[in-house]
Amino acid sequence: METSPQSRMTVAWPWIATAARLGLAAVWLVAGALKVGDLAASARAVNAYQVMPYDTAEVVGAVQPFLEIALGLLLLIGLSTRLTAAISALLMVIFIAGIASAWARGLRIDCGCFSTGGELGRGEDTAYGIDILRDLAFLALSGLLVWRPRTRYSLDGILLGER
Amino acid sequence: MSSGKNRAAKARQIVAEQKAAERRRTVTLWTSVGVVLVLFVAGLIGYTALSGQDEGKLVIPSTAVDEGTAFAVGTGPVVVDVYEDFMCPACGTFEAASGPTLKQLADSGKITIRFHPVAILDQYSNGTEYSTRAAAASAAAAQEGKFTELHDVLYANRPEENSTGLSDARIIELAASVGLTSDTFVTAVNEGTYKAWATQATETFSKRDFTGTPTILVAGQQLENPTTELLTEAVTTAAG
Repeated sequence: METSPQSRMTVAWPWIATAARLGLAAVWLVAGALKVGDLAASARAVNAYQVMPYDTAEVVGAVQPFLEIALGLLLLIGLSTRLTAAISALLMVIFIAGIASAWARGLRIDCGCFSTGGELGRGEDTAYGIDILRDLAFLALSGLLVWRPRTRYSLDGILLGER
Repeated sequence: MSSGKNRAAKARQIVAEQKAAERRRTVTLWTSVGVVLVLFVAGLIGYTALSGQDEGKLVIPSTAVDEGTAFAVGTGPVVVDVYEDFMCPACGTFEAASGPTLKQLADSGKITIRFHPVAILDQYSNGTEYSTRAAAASAAAAQEGKFTELHDVLYANRPEENSTGLSDARIIELAASVGLTSDTFVTAVNEGTYKAWATQATETFSKRDFTGTPTILVAGQQLENPTTELLTEAVTTAAG
């Protein structure tokens, strides 16, 4: 039996997408879990970007970790993967814009991506470039899932009657 | 005959495909609605958690200055603002390096130090919220006129991040070792009288767009790199 490269990709895609889905789920779950324990610190991390009044930052800082955990869980079970991936992509774009804007304004902050950041110790340097590259990688994962939302071991698959 | 069979088979296939497509649409619609609902509820939980936070009764220490956020040491003309977290390693380094110089400048009447205790590292004390407790204890000490004494002894015994921090009992013990033994102080520490105040002072810190500790300002100008030399220089410049 001859398998063409094309049909091989047809077989491989759901597996690649599955890895992307689970990877993105892990990203959201970790990011949310690291913030959810101290909502005041999460508020300070958001406020550190100086793009909204403190009272708004407080609400965003409190809501964000729960949204991240919910997105992580939804991706983990694979429910409406295309939509959750699209929302993930949107959030990544917002985060990248935020970091780029902090960078452009010369703010010296920790992005608070995987921590309640905000504060940078003395001698510690900002890592905006790396933060943006990492978020771009996550954006790529999200984009891949929007494009190819069919994955293995997903609730979507079960609901659609796929094996 | 056979062409009729073929047509029937094709028709069945088309119907099956249409049914499958319809099913996909229905599933997509309802899972999307489900996802939006889940995210909405998650956001609501966050919002409720925020508004449901019980910070206790706010007691602002009467000795506090600068919108009730700081304790002044010295009476000199140049104001030096020092924002510190009692658990922060960089603050410990700053205190060890520049603390004596600051005290000296205050004692010689050149500067007024405004110490702003803030609690940004609560999540690094295994749930005991040492930063908040220590800041609250320092407010209680200020009420007894012994802020500097407690401040210094807490930094001399600064717990590492990700430890449980000093217990209230240990704070009281250390306070006693520097002559702070009043019942009012002990009660304030045990009851966490100034904890809500510490939370509010930390909020003010964030509202002023400061993000890290130590944050040092000389005459309102933030020092990016507060070494003892730059600090002394800035004070001299500000004194004119």
